[in-house]
Amino acid sequence: MTALRIGKGVQILLLAALYVFLYGPIIYITYVSFQANSVWPFPPEFTAKHYISLWNEENYHSGFVNSLAIGIGTGVIASVLATMAAVAILKYRVRRSVYIAGLFLMPLFIAHILIGVSSLMFNKMLLGLPGNIFSAILANATYATAFAFLVVVAQLARYDWRLDEAAMVFGATPGTTFREVTFPLIWPAILGAFIVSFLLAFNNLEISFYNLGATPTLPTLAWGSLRHGVSEELYALAALINVAVFIFLGVMYVLLRTGVVRLDYKD
Amino acid sequence: MTDTVLKLDNISKNFGPIKAADDINIEVGQTEFFALLGPSGSGKTTMLRMIAGLEKPDTGTISISGRDVTNEPPYRRGIGMVFQDFLLFPHKTVAENIMFPLKMQGASEKDKRENLQWVSNLVHLEGLEERYPHQLSGGQKQRVALARGLVSRPSLLLLDEPLANLDRELRKEMEVEIRRFQIELAIPFVYVTHNQEEAMTMSDRMAIMRDGKMEQVGEKFSLYHDPASQFVASFLGSPNAFEGVVSSVEEGIAQINWFGHSIRARAHDGLQPGDRAVCYVKSEKISMLESGGALTGVLRDIIFKGQYADYLVSLGDGHEITVSGAPMTGLKKGAPMHLDWDPGKADAFRAQGGAQ
Amino acid sequence: MSSNKRLFWWLVAPGAIFLILFLILPLASIVVFSFWRTESYTLIPDWNLDNYIRILTDWTYIKFLLRSLSMATIVSLICLVFSWPIAFFIARYGGKFKLIYLLLTSAPFLTGEILRVTALQQILGPIGVINMALSTFGFEPIQALMYTNTATAIGLTYLWIPFMVLAIYLSLLNFDFELLEVAKVNGARPLRAFWEITWPLNRAGSAIGVVLVFIPTLASSITSKFLGGPNGALYGNILANQFGSTGTWALGSAMGVVLFAISLIVLYIVWKMVGDLKRSGVTIKGGAEL
Ligand SMILES: Nc1ncnc2c1ncn2[C@@H]1O[C@H](COP(=O)(O)OP(=O)(O)OP(=O)(O)O)[C@@H](O)[C@H]1O
Ligand SMILES: [Mg+2]
Repeated sequence: MTALRIGKGVQILLLAALYVFLYGPIIYITYVSFQANSVWPFPPEFTAKHYISLWNEENYHSGFVNSLAIGIGTGVIASVLATMAAVAILKYRVRRSVYIAGLFLMPLFIAHILIGVSSLMFNKMLLGLPGNIFSAILANATYATAFAFLVVVAQLARYDWRLDEAAMVFGATPGTTFREVTFPLIWPAILGAFIVSFLLAFNNLEISFYNLGATPTLPTLAWGSLRHGVSEELYALAALINVAVFIFLGVMYVLLRTGVVRLDYKD
Repeated sequence: MTDTVLKLDNISKNFGPIKAADDINIEVGQTEFFALLGPSGSGKTTMLRMIAGLEKPDTGTISISGRDVTNEPPYRRGIGMVFQDFLLFPHKTVAENIMFPLKMQGASEKDKRENLQWVSNLVHLEGLEERYPHQLSGGQKQRVALARGLVSRPSLLLLDEPLANLDRELRKEMEVEIRRFQIELAIPFVYVTHNQEEAMTMSDRMAIMRDGKMEQVGEKFSLYHDPASQFVASFLGSPNAFEGVVSSVEEGIAQINWFGHSIRARAHDGLQPGDRAVCYVKSEKISMLESGGALTGVLRDIIFKGQYADYLVSLGDGHEITVSGAPMTGLKKGAPMHLDWDPGKADAFRAQGGAQ
Repeated sequence: MSSNKRLFWWLVAPGAIFLILFLILPLASIVVFSFWRTESYTLIPDWNLDNYIRILTDWTYIKFLLRSLSMATIVSLICLVFSWPIAFFIARYGGKFKLIYLLLTSAPFLTGEILRVTALQQILGPIGVINMALSTFGFEPIQALMYTNTATAIGLTYLWIPFMVLAIYLSLLNFDFELLEVAKVNGARPLRAFWEITWPLNRAGSAIGVVLVFIPTLASSITSKFLGGPNGALYGNILANQFGSTGTWALGSAMGVVLFAISLIVLYIVWKMVGDLKRSGVTIKGGAEL
């Protein structure tokens, strides 16, 4: 009994330590982003100047727009492709569909730098295409599809596919079945897949970097700025991105928990 | 059968090495309540799914109202179905669930309303139309599932163990109701169950399935009283079984030597003297006599079941026989018992393992 | 072909074709390029093995490769050891907070590598808050945090530990914790019960977690660049250089192929170590409560 309690205590401590480890730097950088002195900001001296200089930096505006485009493009491609595949694999249970699942998960096991340089080389050397935002979207969508696939599969594992069969018996074609029954029940999973792949692509550095050449995105700008010794608007950027990520995940949490959506039909 | 609605010809279906359906032939008529009965894994659900079009048979044809639908997808077969776990759409209200088949047919709003009205009266769902499935009790869900199956007035309704998830009380009530709907609508119901009481209560005809094969199809009375195979004889009712060697067969009645007792029953499977046979006697077909009888013993226990009672009789050599009958107050434990039965109401089959 | 099968392929095909066109073909192309050579910023299809010979015989490349390999091994093991109790706690005692715990664990991952490294730089390094605090209060600064491999290791753990926690958690989702009660009733102490029951049944999750941490760590370049300092360069930095300033694409391609080959070997080894997957509660299936 006591051994068990000690075990549980250690686990709680480690969980707490993990959060301190993960969020310490994030909270600290958010704090620094409001400080006049970024190296040793004690005692605090609050200022909004880093945010203002971030706002005044034209580069970051186009970087933001490009990142947004990459995020949305990737999010749409990845969540659509992943949903189609996940539905096919889970619903039709065709033999050997494991291999297809393996194909969709494969990008998880490939380093981003390889995805980045290989698509750069492929486009440039074989197709003679210069890097641009579209090739960045396509390359980002490869690994984002894998993440989206994981999210959708994890959610759909609870979906009762016999509901689709019931719809078919009552006269719904496969298309109508999806529109009337499947989609209304699984859209949170699709949205979750979109959010995750959007965020990953929005914040991706290595893949976007090799595909975009001179076109700036927020992460490539941050990279450049970090390389030349930190410029302080980077703290403001980091703080803002963290807040955005939290808002997105908050939306996901609310969707999944408040009963707006009931995926827990299958007992 | 002149008014055949459902016709299965030579249907077979394998799942890998498993024969889920093995050369099945069934016909179901216009006003028939047809029960499909069998132990777990015998292929009942598979059969129903093939009729619905959710599974494609490997061989054979299925026709509904004279139309070959073997290659038609489920949504073009025009049938209704009630699923085991109800399978109501959780994001649709009761009304939307019930009207779903009509919506799929593109029925007009007026049509949908009228039919909803009609069917919710039929199954007593008035007032629940705007609720969601998770706000319903088990029995109410069951009614919604039934209503959804019936609303488009299908030419055929399939039911897969629709009462399995209900408690006993409710089940009894629904058994009667379902039968009432069937008579009122005059369409065939194909009803899958592994509960023989349910099948007996509701059906006109039944089919007994085992390992993907039809063991016997027919009127429920004839299946019960005249089983054609050992499996059917042992499966229906709660029969006593006696295994022994046939000593003689005369005029269709076999005499079996069972641990020194002489037992008589109708001979099946072409039993010959010297064969090993097993004889089934349903417990309510054994009569208790004042004296004499094929078997004698003492009353070990009485299990009172309300309208009837089971009498457990010890034969002295360690064997025990169950006899069912009207509850009698006069009998006491330890009383001597004399048992016998009409050999025309008992059935002997060749024992598995063959002749000796 | 049955209609179900046809629908299956229609639904799967777009994604499969997409991945073949934009992931597998490019990867195959660098395999081709790795046998070519580069001359003044152009690739020349002159088939040879020179790039590989160079990578596998020149000590500079071997050194960086070994450094990356040990970095990846150490970081994966650290993540594995620390993630287990955390994932176990979330799965076992998380109750209705499971989702919160998980989202909190994975949220930082979504902000991207570069901003996370930026945040870490504020903590570690010579002018990071830790060493600034130490020197402000008159203590010796911790040398190990100043542009060293240790700092890189901390950074990589920071980046990838969410993967490990998630992978182990997913495998624990299907784990029947009552089995532990059974073990306890039969006299196993908690650690023994873990070793006899929990671990063998959830090895698959650990294996997937290890691979998911190992591969990006092996290839990492950003973290080592900004936390490891000039002497902390790893294989990934050298690889990145070939596509940057030096423009030696063929050599870079060969380095990429070597990296990919090592990833595959690791995947294979870990897979073999997991052994019979059927006996080790495979993840995802069966209703993740994510
Ligand atoms: N999709 C499938 N894949 C493989 N085998 C299947 C499949 N569906 C059914 N079977 C097998 O076919 C046989 C018949 O199954 P079926 O579900 O029809 O039985 P059942 O009579 O409905 O049983 P129960 O009373 O338990 O519902 C079983 O052995 C089952 O394991
Ligand atoms: Mg069944």
